[in-house]
Amino acid sequence: MSFRAKVFLSITATVVLAVWIVAAVVTALVSQSFERTDEQRTAALVSQIQREIERRGADVVRRVEAVVSSDVAQRLAVNLGGRVDTSQYFGQAQMLAAEQSLDFLELVGPDDAIISSAEWPARFGYKEDWLAQSPNWNAQGAFLRKEDLADGSALGLIAVRAVKAGDGFLYVAGGQRLDQEFLASLPATGGIRFELFRAFDPTGSANPLVEDVRRQPREVTRVTAASSVTAIPLRGRDQQLLAILLIESSRAELANLKKYIQGTAAAVGAAGVLLALVLSFWTASRVTRPLRNLAASVREVALGKWDTRAKVSSSDEVGQLARDFNGMTEQLVAQRDRMIQAERVAAWRELARRLAHELKNPLFPLQITIENLQRARASSPEQFDEVFRESTSTLLAELGHLKTIIGRFSDFAKMPAPQLERVDVNQIARDVLQLYEAQLTAPGRPKVEAALELSAEPGVVQADPEQLRRALSNLVLNALDAMPQGGRLVLRTSGNDGRVALEVSDTGEGLTPEECERLFTPYYTTKLHGTGLGLAIVQSVVSDHKGTITVRSQRGEGTTFRIELEAEASGR
Amino acid sequence: MRLRAWAWLALASLALKPLRAETRPRYGGALTVEAPGFPVSVFETLVRWNRATIEPLLAVAWQHDPDYKRWRFSLRSKVKFHDGEPFTAASAVPSLGAALKATYPDVAIEAGGQALVIKSSQPMPDLLDLLAQAAISRNDIGTGAFRIAARDPQHTTFAAFEDYWGGRPYLDNVTLADAAGAHGRADMFDLPVGPQRRIVPEGWTTWSSVPKTLLAIEGARADPSVLKALALAIDRAPIANVLAQHKAEPAFGLLPQWLSGYEFLFESVPDVARAKQMIAQSHPAPVTMDLPNDPFLRSVAERIALNARDAGMAIQFKPSGDLRLVELPVETTDPASALALMKLGDRPEVDLTKPEAVYQFERMLIESRHIIPLLHLRKSYAISPKVHFQPSHDQFELHLEDAWIEP
Repeated sequence: MSFRAKVFLSITATVVLAVWIVAAVVTALVSQSFERTDEQRTAALVSQIQREIERRGADVVRRVEAVVSSDVAQRLAVNLGGRVDTSQYFGQAQMLAAEQSLDFLELVGPDDAIISSAEWPARFGYKEDWLAQSPNWNAQGAFLRKEDLADGSALGLIAVRAVKAGDGFLYVAGGQRLDQEFLASLPATGGIRFELFRAFDPTGSANPLVEDVRRQPREVTRVTAASSVTAIPLRGRDQQLLAILLIESSRAELANLKKYIQGTAAAVGAAGVLLALVLSFWTASRVTRPLRNLAASVREVALGKWDTRAKVSSSDEVGQLARDFNGMTEQLVAQRDRMIQAERVAAWRELARRLAHELKNPLFPLQITIENLQRARASSPEQFDEVFRESTSTLLAELGHLKTIIGRFSDFAKMPAPQLERVDVNQIARDVLQLYEAQLTAPGRPKVEAALELSAEPGVVQADPEQLRRALSNLVLNALDAMPQGGRLVLRTSGNDGRVALEVSDTGEGLTPEECERLFTPYYTTKLHGTGLGLAIVQSVVSDHKGTITVRSQRGEGTTFRIELEAEASGR
Repeated sequence: MRLRAWAWLALASLALKPLRAETRPRYGGALTVEAPGFPVSVFETLVRWNRATIEPLLAVAWQHDPDYKRWRFSLRSKVKFHDGEPFTAASAVPSLGAALKATYPDVAIEAGGQALVIKSSQPMPDLLDLLAQAAISRNDIGTGAFRIAARDPQHTTFAAFEDYWGGRPYLDNVTLADAAGAHGRADMFDLPVGPQRRIVPEGWTTWSSVPKTLLAIEGARADPSVLKALALAIDRAPIANVLAQHKAEPAFGLLPQWLSGYEFLFESVPDVARAKQMIAQSHPAPVTMDLPNDPFLRSVAERIALNARDAGMAIQFKPSGDLRLVELPVETTDPASALALMKLGDRPEVDLTKPEAVYQFERMLIESRHIIPLLHLRKSYAISPKVHFQPSHDQFELHLEDAWIEP
């Protein structure tokens, strides 16, 4: 992964993490706030409903007291003090209940027998023993009670008042239903729903919350994603559970608001991330550009362009690095120049040394011969002719030797550019081996076994056949020179991946690694005799053909020289 | 038996406020009666029940053979229909034939002048009962003291028949109206049984009949054991005193005590515990009962359901239920005839002049028709002080032909 990509990802990850953390914190805080608000709203609603029930109870008390104050009730109370036929009051409860808008009304005599009942007229004469249980009804407020009716039971908010009637009391028990109509009258804003479950209904309820409260009466709130449900147990005078009021508050609005906020936060976060991506990309690009430029410069240096200069675009550490890089390359170039100069000097020195060495050999005999001539002329004039003849022969041989040496140097100096043509390397190998076949089998020479290991596929290259032969010949000569006691010489060709290889292997003494390194230095030789130009010529030819030459050698096992050239493209 | 009933009626009438006998009757005037269905004499019969005896009306005399298969009636002369046509035996034949063929399909009626012969292959011992119910009319025109003068949905006006054979009635007109038709100007109005109170103006009198309509539960489709348990569970006294506002008496037999004299033999006291035991043993399915529209009958039905609940029996109100409330009028003051006219069963071929036979007849009817008697209801009216009736020992019914009104 590139440095720019790493910087980009780092900045992006940092920003995304920051945005995510902020969004998560905001969402959590918003949720908490909304939950608190919802709880408060539910509590307020519960309180409001309880107040409404109390208000209704007070209203029921007021209406019952109005019944007590009516002429009918007062007359009945007075008449009950004596002997009165209560049958004439049979229908009064219905009339009084209608006047006071009461759903339940019973007039009960001192014997606890119903004189008149509005909700169940047929029940006259039946006893309402529970009325005698309280000593002071007039001080009590309204309460919940299960009222038996002809067609079942109902839940009522009941108030009782007692009027003195003879030695006892006339009880007036009246009330209103607590049913769906009551629920409909409760203050409810949108999303609020009420439901009333009567605990005495034999069928029970499929609602698990209701059953839970029925088993253990207490106020319970259950919250789900869709709604918040509060169950309030409603108890009678004796604290027995009579009904359960469910208040369901829809959390849809809350959920929508949360979704909206979360959506907005997500959108803002996404925008932030997008912006972060853009900015981090731009930042990464800007930050890493100098480094990339520097890296490009380093690559160019690695490719050999040592005079590459990195652009210095800032005064920070990267700029300093660029400046240091430029300094380094300057030094490298200088060192390279110095090294080249030194190598040139060394090569010139070597050349001079070799030249001096090569020239010294023939020049010494020349000097000796001439000195011999001088001595012979001076000391032995009678032997001068013979000495002159021997000396001139020697002089001519040595001059020829000098000429050869100088010719070699001249050839190396003015090697021509290769004339490229289609060349089969297998054929070159055959030609070269054939050239030296006679030499390999010459009598009196240690036997050198020669072998050709040619590639089955002909390796065709664009090359100068003459120069190639010459290079291969030099390698063969070196190989023969490395096997003075005989050995095995192998010429090998192969092809792979668009490259063609020519190898010359010998089984001589082999070379050390240091010798391998200096092998292709002109005038470097391990031979006692020789100009040291042979491998330099081979290298020059290979270089002109844009190939490579390598050597591998193991001391005591032999040496293999390998020339690789680019194969001719197929179809040409 | 009839004497006992007659004595009861006499005592009952003495207990009521006398109808201002010192006021002399006068002709003229119009009477408005707010009591739809009040009986007005428009159509007459050949004979009628009066107290405990059958008396002549349009027939003045009759004879029958020993087998009761052939009867001969002498008709009253100088009787006219309201359109002036004379009443003859021939004019009576269509009405009689229609009335008698339902009981005696092969009855033959021969008319000759003012004589009628009624024959059948079957004995007709109850012919007089039937004739007491068979109104004589010709093209819907009667021979009674009043004729129909006008009719509309809210009231019917009757005018006095000037040529009435019994003498022109005192009143010129009688208007029977409902509450809307009376426009608050009724001279006499119905006091219904039940808790619906109607204020009787000061100075008015109230007239109540003897208990003469049976209110009963009929349960032909119900389980007999359930009926027995229900009969034990029902407490009649509160129904009579409170729901009927004392305008009824608890009934244990089909006929009231004053009529039969033996009703006390059917009497029983409520026994809820025993009823509960019977229900617990039989485990009956819920019983259904018709719920009447009439407010009083509805309140009675609801009370009965409550009594049944006390005994562990559930009564559900549904149309065409197993039980229903029925009102059976007591049409005559003859016990056997009254039972027969209740149309609960065929009259047995026994001598029903003996109380024991009538008792057995009544018991058979109760058991065979699965009847639970509840109440005997009275009929009551509030009467303006301007309205007078001829002194009568009859507390069975008011007769308008005996009434006159002060100006």
